[in-house]
Amino acid sequence: MESKKTLPIFSSYKTNPIFYDEIFKNDKEIRNTYDELFKLFNEYKVDDFKLLNEKAKLSFLNQGITFQVYDKTTVEKVFPFDLFPKIITADEWDHIESGALQRSKALNLFLYDVYHKKQIIKDGIVPIELISSSENYLDQMNGLEPPGGIYNHISGTDIIKHSDGEYYVLEDNIRCPSGVSYVVSNRVALKRAMFGVFNNYPTCPVANYSENLLEIMQSVKPAGVDIPTCVVITPGIYNSAYYEHSFLAKSMGIELVEGRDLFIEKDFVYMKTIYGPVKIDVIYRRIDDAFIDPLEFNPDSVLGVPGLFAAYKKGNVTLVNAPGTGVADDKAIYTYMPQIIKYYLNEEPILNNVHTYHCSRPKELAYVLDNIDKLVIKPVDESGGYGISIGNKLTKEEIEKVKAVIKETPRKYIAQPIMALSTHATFIDEKQCFEPRHVDLRTFTLLGKDKEFVLKGGLTRVALKEGNLIVNSSQGGGSKDTWVLKR
Amino acid sequence: MLARVANNLFWMGRYLERTEHIARYLNVNYFSSFDAPNETSQSRQFVLNSIVRMVDDDPEKETVLFEKKVLFDAALNDEKIFSIKSYFRMARDNASSARDMISTELFESINKLHHYINNYSIEYFTERGLDEFTMYVSKAVAQIKSNIVTTMMHDDTYAIIHLGINLERATDVIRIIDTKYKDALSVQNETDFATSYEWTILLRCIQSFDMMKRHYKKAPTSKNTLDFLILNPECPKSVMSCLNNAKCHIDYLNKNHHSLASAFLIGKLRAKYHYKRINEIEIGFDKFIQEIISELDEICISIEDELFKH
Amino acid sequence: MQYHYKIKYATHNTYENPVNNALWQFLIEPKNNDSQFLETSNFRDSYNTLVSKSVNGYGFKTFRVTPKNQITDIIFEAEFSLIKNQVEVQSQDSNLYSKDIIEINSDPFKIEYHSFLKDTILTTLPSDKKNIFLFDDQKTTFENLKALNKWVFIFLYYTIGVTNNRTELKDLITNNKGVAKDFAHLFCAIARQHNIPTRYVSGFLNQDNTYFGASEIHSWVECFVPNVGWVGFDPTNNMMADFNHIKIAHGKDYNDCASLKGIIFSVGKNTTKYSVDVVCQEFIQDKSASLNHISAYNIINKKAL
Repeated sequence: MESKKTLPIFSSYKTNPIFYDEIFKNDKEIRNTYDELFKLFNEYKVDDFKLLNEKAKLSFLNQGITFQVYDKTTVEKVFPFDLFPKIITADEWDHIESGALQRSKALNLFLYDVYHKKQIIKDGIVPIELISSSENYLDQMNGLEPPGGIYNHISGTDIIKHSDGEYYVLEDNIRCPSGVSYVVSNRVALKRAMFGVFNNYPTCPVANYSENLLEIMQSVKPAGVDIPTCVVITPGIYNSAYYEHSFLAKSMGIELVEGRDLFIEKDFVYMKTIYGPVKIDVIYRRIDDAFIDPLEFNPDSVLGVPGLFAAYKKGNVTLVNAPGTGVADDKAIYTYMPQIIKYYLNEEPILNNVHTYHCSRPKELAYVLDNIDKLVIKPVDESGGYGISIGNKLTKEEIEKVKAVIKETPRKYIAQPIMALSTHATFIDEKQCFEPRHVDLRTFTLLGKDKEFVLKGGLTRVALKEGNLIVNSSQGGGSKDTWVLKR
Repeated sequence: MLARVANNLFWMGRYLERTEHIARYLNVNYFSSFDAPNETSQSRQFVLNSIVRMVDDDPEKETVLFEKKVLFDAALNDEKIFSIKSYFRMARDNASSARDMISTELFESINKLHHYINNYSIEYFTERGLDEFTMYVSKAVAQIKSNIVTTMMHDDTYAIIHLGINLERATDVIRIIDTKYKDALSVQNETDFATSYEWTILLRCIQSFDMMKRHYKKAPTSKNTLDFLILNPECPKSVMSCLNNAKCHIDYLNKNHHSLASAFLIGKLRAKYHYKRINEIEIGFDKFIQEIISELDEICISIEDELFKH
Repeated sequence: MQYHYKIKYATHNTYENPVNNALWQFLIEPKNNDSQFLETSNFRDSYNTLVSKSVNGYGFKTFRVTPKNQITDIIFEAEFSLIKNQVEVQSQDSNLYSKDIIEINSDPFKIEYHSFLKDTILTTLPSDKKNIFLFDDQKTTFENLKALNKWVFIFLYYTIGVTNNRTELKDLITNNKGVAKDFAHLFCAIARQHNIPTRYVSGFLNQDNTYFGASEIHSWVECFVPNVGWVGFDPTNNMMADFNHIKIAHGKDYNDCASLKGIIFSVGKNTTKYSVDVVCQEFIQDKSASLNHISAYNIINKKAL
């Protein structure tokens, strides 16, 4: 060990030819984009780098940039941060940005349609079963006109680079996609730790997300409101994403409220301030549909505001994202994305979709059951990486169990070929060196009335366990700063 | 500002202040006793008893106190609501709930101390850590309070936090005075009440020994100590000074209200002690303690009703 | 024929510990439609709180009350007067079920009525009971539903206190005892199993006769019968919904139509006592009265489409 401490930190990096490595073309050659960066990093000795790494970690802990995991007790954890950034060139980014925007717009039109005329179903593009059997379809949203016609004001698109070097979308998150606060704090942390590296790479800023989000919120104000009062609503300090909620409120300069801070009178929403009630016009809600209003949805919810939905229905307050968006980020809808994009936008999809098998279709179900070892099985309505089975990681017994579960409720599952997520250089604490780890990228797209914005960069998530393909923070993932280079 | 958040900020201020006072009280009381001039003041049981009476509203009637247990309960026992750990956890929870309203620097300093307290080894504390721990905590809270002053707008957020800090300081100072007053009474057969060493300890517990010496240029006596800590508006820890500050902050909030009853109550209490002589207090000391505690309670209830409910 | 109704609804809630923060929502006001016309509507509570009127997610009118005082008991009272028409159903227009199946299984039909074709937690038949009642291809859809109405009526025994608001069908079928809500849920589940759009209905029931469920808020169902329209069935009493049935709201199941929803921040026990008083007061001969006699289904049918 003693000798290793003084070695350059890349000395034991080994690429796997099955995967696309974003730094190395092969074990010796560096990709052009990373040339300079690699040189800078390779100057560090293990010990020096470890110190930097520890410092960055401690700063996250002290600042309370943490999340809580649901275990037997709640544990506060730092979202592991890797100092080696992911770089995206300007051309590559244009492709990603236009693709993410295209998807968000198509999903928004799809949502408008399924809550109004349902033309896409009548035209036979998407089967009625997809919405009639979706738990996330809200009948209460039928015929409702959201201000500006926007449902998914905020979309998170999870994108990967496959072994063919092409980008693929893994899923769209349009309920309450989280992670954007880490994008901003990762950048701050990296700038502090290694300011020198930015001299060689002209990088697009990420701190402008909040002002754009606020503009988006203001753009969808209810009719008749001049200057809207906007707030963020959180389930409270024990929620796993509380840091993000407080970050968003603070960086937008608006109030962070909890359900108990709000009340409804005559179908208007008010917050209780020390100077009395103040009317609220736009709510960025970080509470799931089921919990926003105990009178309308889950009656046991203490997080929401009784009567909020009626106020929304009357058009007196705007909810961001709209209730009922979950029907479109259902993984079963995902498979129809190419058709949905073509149907509403008359465009070819810019980003690839991963081929998906629907277990609800008997033929595809048969294929899935026969080929589980080659597939990833995902529940259609879970997020956060829960409930995912990766075929080639299962024992025979486990495979049989998964099969039984799928057969019980085929509608609940889809399967995809195991995608070869690209690998990226990641510092591994226990081994004190850089090793390749799988990464994906979550982009953040905002849609408002006559306004759209894609955050230049996004959250690069990295699976810290060797060989692991699940990058979610709840499953032991970490993150990296993501640089989009200026032209 | 949200009423709930105002409540959080008020209590954040109160718990921060309380944490600091308990930490210092533990430290000063424990260590000053070693070289106390009279025998009882040196006795461990006497010191532990003083600590228990100060921190615990409802102490169990135990004849023999165990040092390790008393110190652990007061500092790091998270099952005791009066421990430094519990109070500071509540300070931090309140800060978290108002996180979007306070500066990044302030939250970071609170969070840092939270980690320090949580990670502090209980074993080390009971063996050797009392001084290190309590000193660190009281200094860190002072640092936190300086962040409130230097990194935040001096607006209604600031006024609410300082209202909490000052009302808590007044309450804590009174509790400490009460405890030490009774300590001085209990040793009066060994040493004269008026010139008891307990007055020195009292002043040190409230970080006012040097100030008092500069002001009176005399050794502490019951009269000048009580006068200094209760009525002297120039001593930043005195009850009078706390009331003056509280009045400033409630007046700031009152600008946006038509008229706050709590502003009236604070003003009334301030006027009452402005025209008070220390002799009047000394005559009916127990009555004074009871009165002022209930007057401060009344103010806090009124603040809660007017600002935090809605 | 027209009927004049006076309806009194009262509920008395008591709490073991004082409640500081509470909100109640009532979904009890009869709706206006083509067979009923609401003349007057009054709602108040024993504290004379400001009542706010709103609508639920499906557009039915609600009353909401948030008392400012601390309370341990509270009485809510409502009074409605209403004119009700005789409901006529053109049952002879119903096709054979075997013929309707073609329309029922067509996409436009499924899209139009998807909300009332899907199962909810309260209206899901256990997997081994999916065939508990089967439709007869040689009968009309309407006759099948009438048979189902009768079957549910016979299958379940009207018994108070066995089930609650969260009772699922698997338990109901095992115990075969329940109240109007349970009769309606079972009916909904079976009808939807046969792809007949079916909605759960809440309302008042005339107390002049000895119907089951008349002493409280009653529940029945409405089915969309192709070529006929929405038709009301009351499985608790094995009858068609008629001038005795005064509709408040409909939805997918009880949860969409609960007459009282309370959000109460308090610990300890609470009790709720209800009383419903429905009087069919007079018999109006004068046809020029506020409502024209129109057979119900025509217009409801138009509205639905």
